[in-house]
Amino acid sequence: MAEHGGGGGCCPPMDLFRSEPMHLVQVIIPIESARLTVSYLGDIGLIQFKDLNAEKSPFQRTYAGQIKRCGELARKLRFFKDQMSKAGVTPSAKFEAKTDFNLDDLEVNLGDLEAELTEINANSEKLQRGYNELVEYKLVLQKAGEFFKAAERSAAAQQRELSSHQAGEESLETPLLKDQESTADQGKQVKLGFLTGLVPKGKAMAFERILFRATRGNVFLRQASLEEAVVDPNSGEKVNRSLLHFYLPCLGECFDIKYPFDVEKNVFAVFFSGERAKSKILKICEAFGANRYSFAEDLCKQAQMITEVSGRLSELKTTIDTGLLHRGNLLETIGKQYEQWNDVVRKEKSIYHTLNMLSIDVTKKCLVGEGWSPVFATQQYKEETPRQITIFCIVDVMFQITICINLMHIKIFCFKIQYALQQATIDSKSQVGAIFQVLHTKELPPTYFRTNKFTDSFQTIVDAYGVAKYQEANPGVYTIVTFPFLFAVMFGDWGHGICILLATLYLIFREKKYSSQKLGDIMEMTFGGRYVILLMSLFSIYTGLIYNEFFSVPFELFSPSAYACRDAACSEATTIGLIKVRDTYPFGVDPAWHGSRSELPFLNSLKMKMSILLGVAQMNLGIILSFFNALHFRNAVNIWFQFIPQMIFLNGLFGYLSLLIIVKWCTGSKADLYHVMIYMFLSPTDDLGENQLFPNQKTIQTHQGESYTALEGTEDSLQVEAGHDPHDHEGFEFSEVFVHQLIHTIEFVLGAVSNTASYLRLWALSLAHSELSTVFYEKVLLLAWGYNNVIILIVGIIVFIFATVGVLLVMETLSAFLHALRLHWVEFQNKFYEGDGYKFAPFSFALLGTEEE
Amino acid sequence: MGFLLTTLVFVVIGIVASLCARICCNKGPSANLLHLTLVITATVCCWMMWAIVYLAQMNPLIVPILSESE
Repeated sequence: MAEHGGGGGCCPPMDLFRSEPMHLVQVIIPIESARLTVSYLGDIGLIQFKDLNAEKSPFQRTYAGQIKRCGELARKLRFFKDQMSKAGVTPSAKFEAKTDFNLDDLEVNLGDLEAELTEINANSEKLQRGYNELVEYKLVLQKAGEFFKAAERSAAAQQRELSSHQAGEESLETPLLKDQESTADQGKQVKLGFLTGLVPKGKAMAFERILFRATRGNVFLRQASLEEAVVDPNSGEKVNRSLLHFYLPCLGECFDIKYPFDVEKNVFAVFFSGERAKSKILKICEAFGANRYSFAEDLCKQAQMITEVSGRLSELKTTIDTGLLHRGNLLETIGKQYEQWNDVVRKEKSIYHTLNMLSIDVTKKCLVGEGWSPVFATQQYKEETPRQITIFCIVDVMFQITICINLMHIKIFCFKIQYALQQATIDSKSQVGAIFQVLHTKELPPTYFRTNKFTDSFQTIVDAYGVAKYQEANPGVYTIVTFPFLFAVMFGDWGHGICILLATLYLIFREKKYSSQKLGDIMEMTFGGRYVILLMSLFSIYTGLIYNEFFSVPFELFSPSAYACRDAACSEATTIGLIKVRDTYPFGVDPAWHGSRSELPFLNSLKMKMSILLGVAQMNLGIILSFFNALHFRNAVNIWFQFIPQMIFLNGLFGYLSLLIIVKWCTGSKADLYHVMIYMFLSPTDDLGENQLFPNQKTIQTHQGESYTALEGTEDSLQVEAGHDPHDHEGFEFSEVFVHQLIHTIEFVLGAVSNTASYLRLWALSLAHSELSTVFYEKVLLLAWGYNNVIILIVGIIVFIFATVGVLLVMETLSAFLHALRLHWVEFQNKFYEGDGYKFAPFSFALLGTEEE
Repeated sequence: MGFLLTTLVFVVIGIVASLCARICCNKGPSANLLHLTLVITATVCCWMMWAIVYLAQMNPLIVPILSESE
């Protein structure tokens, strides 16, 4: 049992008020049952193991090899996931078939599947490349064939023309040289070589230009563009590789991420003469990534080639399709088991991580583990309700029915951890059982609150500022009510409150669906805080009724307004005003105030005083909680020299101000409270005159002033008292404590003024909200209504809705949320909260899933 | 209805709410104490808010002065 101020025992225990009592436990497990033991302990999830091998590096630990294995399996699983997502296969949701997975079998299985999958991928890639090449070849054959056909046709036509020319005209006009030239031309015909292929359309111009320049214009290039784009086999691969080297340094993962490029290409045929020109052209083709394909000049051979290529293309297509089908099936089978495998691998990895934290005994036969665990997990705790039942029986007969039901409501928590250890020994057929014992230590245990889904969100809000120290009073208990309440004070409009209530009820009704889904960041935060928002909206409806604002419009809901005109003609309504003719409006602000000229002076005064009163109440609650902390930790010094002076100071000053406010309201006196408070200090012996609120006020105020000087002395004498207790704490330094307490005193005194003033933000935000609401109502909705035009009305309504939702429901909500949070974190919690504990992070499989995501 | 009467109404509502909480979620003494604390805190907060607004209007020092347009 941790010996930190074990329990004040002054008051009955309350759930969530103090963190669970924890103790340090030690388990000694034999090696053969180690894995199973840790696995069962992970199922329970109530031990936070301490790392006993902290000075060892990850590679020196006992189970480093096993972790590497798990890492390898995890990599394989990630690869499968990648393949599945690319093929569009979703892993099916896991069914709770608790088949015990042997890690070795799983390893073999996954290895086989991976090899098969990579083989299929490589094969299909090869086939695909061949297919693309054939497609290009076919296109080249077709287009180049057209070139040659066209060329032949024109050549034949020219030949015919020439021969007809020659045959026809042997007149004197035909020059003799021309004849010779043509024959000479015939003779000079050099054997031309040609190359055919495909070049990307974008590069076609540059290709042509460079060819021309390189061969000094001694080539003839013929190009024809293709109607549709083709998949380029080589460039796809080339791009693939360079991207991989850039993005994926681990080569093991660059299996086949295909970015097939559909490129627009031109078929070209280039005619050249000479070997040097040929080599130049070849190099230029390579540089431009132009794929070359051989082409036969013979016409019938061309036709043959085309049919052959078409046949091979269809063959390849069927082969590729079957390959893809096979791959799809494989991925489906993987998908069925994927979630389960994933779970198993994650669990095993975490088990080995935990086993690494246990220290191995000298004899190498058992592992010793230390960890924090809550006391309730290791004790028998039977919970029944018979005692309470008898009391209720006496009180009320009506409860008898519920009592009968409650009789069956008996919970028994067995020795949870010991049970798990026993079970593991039995299951692993070990000879020796595990040993379990509780250690005594002075270390600070972790903080553990048992929250349910409702209280969890409020506890998160408190923990965000600082995790509670072990067993100190938890502000979360009061935050559950005061946080939504202070939000509502700043938000007060029951129309807006209803809107937010509807939104959050929707979230709560769809709880099951949303909790299993993966939501975006903002949605996740909103969904996680749905119960906070629910309470916020309920309180907002209440404060909206009190402020009498429904989208800034007041209603006479409870009784007619208390104010009426002074005379029948209402002549003075706009100069002197109305008078109060009936009893005070019974619930909330009188509807007569809205829209009047003196509305703001009245509401400002009301809301400011309300803020001070609420603030003083909450700060007193904080100081009282510090009293309970002092009681619990048996720190009498804190009670006499911290709690009492704090109470006297705060209440003497601001408690007194609150009292004056209430007295002024009750009596209707015209006293100036500013004047009273300031002159209480400046010249306390002066006569109060018209500022007197109650008899003997002057004497009381003088005594208050005197008590402050006494207080300074008391707080200093705290140091003297504390100095006589050096053996209670280790390393107790008088000067340190003295300085600490001095700082604390000054902080509290100055803080009292600033914190009380800080509560005025309740007034400020509530004023802002109501003014914005009024502006949107009057200047948008009423203005649109005044035009008597349907279109303008509809536009006005749409603008009003967008403005209300965007500014008031979203921005104002966030703003009021933030300020209410600040009031809690700073003004409330600095009266008593230390918040320097650390959270209980048990080894639990249930929590694994959430932290991996 | 008067200040005291309405305060009494709040007290009664508080007691009824605690009894309802006790009936529908009876989960052991410590949990019951938590529920009771929450209900009492909520009742006190709501009552304070109402009481402040009511007291401020009991003996008003300023009265509504209507604006010109009305």
